[in-house]
Amino acid sequence: MCEECGCANRKILHVNKAVLAANDAMAGLNRKRIEAMGAVAINLMSSPGSGKTTLLEKTIDLVGDSLKIGVIEGDIETDRDAARIRARGIPAVQLTTGGACHLDAPLVHRGLYELEVQTPCGLDIIFIENVGNLVCPASFSLGEHKRVVLLSVPEGSDKPAKYPRAFMGSQVFVITKTDLMPYFDFSLAEAEKEALRLNPRLNILCLSSVNGDGMDGWIDYLNKLVNSPARTRARVVA
Amino acid sequence: MHELSLAQALIDEVLRLSAEHGAKKVLRVDVMIGAFSGVVQDSFRFCFETLASACESTVDTALMIETPPVSYLCIGCGHAFKADKDMRVVICPSCHGGELFPQGGDELLLVRIEME
Repeated sequence: MCEECGCANRKILHVNKAVLAANDAMAGLNRKRIEAMGAVAINLMSSPGSGKTTLLEKTIDLVGDSLKIGVIEGDIETDRDAARIRARGIPAVQLTTGGACHLDAPLVHRGLYELEVQTPCGLDIIFIENVGNLVCPASFSLGEHKRVVLLSVPEGSDKPAKYPRAFMGSQVFVITKTDLMPYFDFSLAEAEKEALRLNPRLNILCLSSVNGDGMDGWIDYLNKLVNSPARTRARVVA
Repeated sequence: MHELSLAQALIDEVLRLSAEHGAKKVLRVDVMIGAFSGVVQDSFRFCFETLASACESTVDTALMIETPPVSYLCIGCGHAFKADKDMRVVICPSCHGGELFPQGGDELLLVRIEME
């Protein structure tokens, strides 16, 4: 026992757990809730203005009644995005973070509850549109099944290299606004190469919500996801 | 600035554990922050110190940040290796291929707490 410096009173605790363990635990609960609703959830992440809401609008128009879609919108202020989705007859919940640059699992937990109230018959896909930001949302698990990162042509093809985390943690990389390719110095090869260097398993899709190019690949991806065996099992259990 | 949310989550856990163990003071907190975690270490430290200073038991807490080396797997030849200082390796040292799969690097862990 040391009596000189008092180190005998010191206690060292080896914790070794995620700083975001509380968020991750809530994300696990969210996942259960999503599956109990019969749905798969997609976390959409990108910079502001890269076309997340427009992609959702176009997706809703194309799938019609074939898939039951619900949307959770994350923004710093206003319910404009949720209003755009509701205008198409789709249930939407707006989460306003009041300044925070990302959604976290507790916030989405509230959103899921509100969405569940609006959709007693369950859903096929829940889109969680994160706050427009290519950095912060990537750190927070929300309980989603898939992460989709969007990058629009005007933003530039160097963004995967400059914002690696969002691309490393995603399963799908959607390059949006391809109709603007003739007007911007965007190298598809560079964007793909850099993204695949960070994440060789990344599924890359190119599309334009305006002229519809490439939308079939996106809808095909969603249909496959909804009909995947894992999800069917989850549904049976639920 | 999600560093503030992360620092808050860390402080919450540190305070919870120190209370659980009946500690009066937290002397040192060790965290591991990976090179690809998307966390700006200076900002994280600033946020941690700001939050820690508001609480009696953490006002003098030292924050130690460790960044582990990133491991890579070469898709071309299967060579697995650890990056040295430069975390962003682009060429496999074995076959000089460019298809490298980073493994880890996204750590954000509370490793150890020292308290009294």
